[in-house]
Amino acid sequence: MVDQKELINAVKETVSREDVRYIVGYEEGTYGFETAPSFAYTSDDARKFIFNPLCTKNLVVYPILEEKLPLKREEQEDDRKIGIVVKGCDSRALVQILQEKGLKRENLVLIGIPCTGVVNTKKIKDKFPNQTEYTDVKEEKNHYVFSIEESVQKIPKKELLADVCKECEYPNPVIFDILIGEETEVETEPTYIEVREFEEKSLSEKWEYWKKHFENCIRCYACREACPLCYCKTCMADFLDPQWIRRSVDLSENTAWNIMRAFHLAGRCVSCGECERACPAEIPLMKLNKVLEKEIRELYDYTAGLDPEEKTLFGTFNPDDPEEFIM
Amino acid sequence: MSKTTQITELNSNPNVVLFLCRWCSGKGADLAGTSRLHYPTNVLPIMVNCSSRIDPQHVVEAFLEGADGVLITGCHFGDCHYKTGNYKTFRRMALLSRLLKQVGVNPKRFRITWISATEGAKFAKITTEMVEDLKKLPPYGKNGKGGDS
Repeated sequence: MVDQKELINAVKETVSREDVRYIVGYEEGTYGFETAPSFAYTSDDARKFIFNPLCTKNLVVYPILEEKLPLKREEQEDDRKIGIVVKGCDSRALVQILQEKGLKRENLVLIGIPCTGVVNTKKIKDKFPNQTEYTDVKEEKNHYVFSIEESVQKIPKKELLADVCKECEYPNPVIFDILIGEETEVETEPTYIEVREFEEKSLSEKWEYWKKHFENCIRCYACREACPLCYCKTCMADFLDPQWIRRSVDLSENTAWNIMRAFHLAGRCVSCGECERACPAEIPLMKLNKVLEKEIRELYDYTAGLDPEEKTLFGTFNPDDPEEFIM
Repeated sequence: MSKTTQITELNSNPNVVLFLCRWCSGKGADLAGTSRLHYPTNVLPIMVNCSSRIDPQHVVEAFLEGADGVLITGCHFGDCHYKTGNYKTFRRMALLSRLLKQVGVNPKRFRITWISATEGAKFAKITTEMVEDLKKLPPYGKNGKGGDS
């Protein structure tokens, strides 16, 4: 559990540095069990900052989403640093972006937080459907503690933990400038049980499963917008000439979009689960990402987002790659 | 779909989109032609400069537009005109095939192979094999009829 005061002090100290423009973190949301991103421009703004198991969002999208307005005459570009509060998976996403030279390390200040897993907000909402005000959640060993309407409720951690956090290998930030609290011990090693179980189904069962989900896709592209690694200036789905994917919402186009979205994250996805969380149609997108993650680990012994100096998966090759797939 | 309809709906005339690289597989296909070898007319050859030019999107696009199968050919390892192109193709396409398999596309519909300029006979053999394989499957349809159900 992260000490709130330590976080606020660290943010205050960092934001009052001259070379830091602002810091992105979490603050209390306005509805139910949601936290909202918070921007601290002065040390006064740092008061709002919190960190608890409700802080699900991946804030690494923000330095890339930032709009850069054209400069006025004789105006200098503001090249001060941007601070981000990062969990384990967020920091890996950032490493992947650094690897691809999407951002520069010297333009960032990272406040690392050892994570103990975040909750699945959809599951909480099912448990407490009538909760409209922001409610804090505390973590006590293997339980989450909710104080709702003056009564304290304890719920086992396993019931509410997000699926991606169950097999998390890197809860501690891979890169950081300031680390808050003590590092979490890593207990699990990914087994990819779900992927392996799904693999054993017949082809028609697999297609029926995905057909059911892809039919619901409304092509809002929320998965793309929420993903920290989908940061192309023009996405291939937005191209009109050549038009890679038609814009009509029907099953075959939806399937093409979802396959290509997953494939464009092959060897880059860090399993933060943002796409699945953002999806309004509740498509299990992580299932596709996990397939690729598992195959890449088995075939090429490669894990995304660990070393900023490493080369990307598709930028390299190895003459000894397994060839069983060739006809 | 019941089993009886499945059998009647087998594909007698499958379409295969065939990607050829200019330097090896394309010449191999030429050799098959000049040596008067027979290969099925179901293949639609598309020549690209290097097999690594083929984006996974092209493969998905081919299926979307009604292809029953996609065959990608390139130079043998170490023979690539651009030195390392086919290694990169291979990494990409191997992963794409795993992904397509997980979504329910029969792995027989998407294959990759290496054909050199002297292997006209191999070219004829492999295209025949692929088309024969696809004839045993139902057509891969557009607009929701896809999947090998």
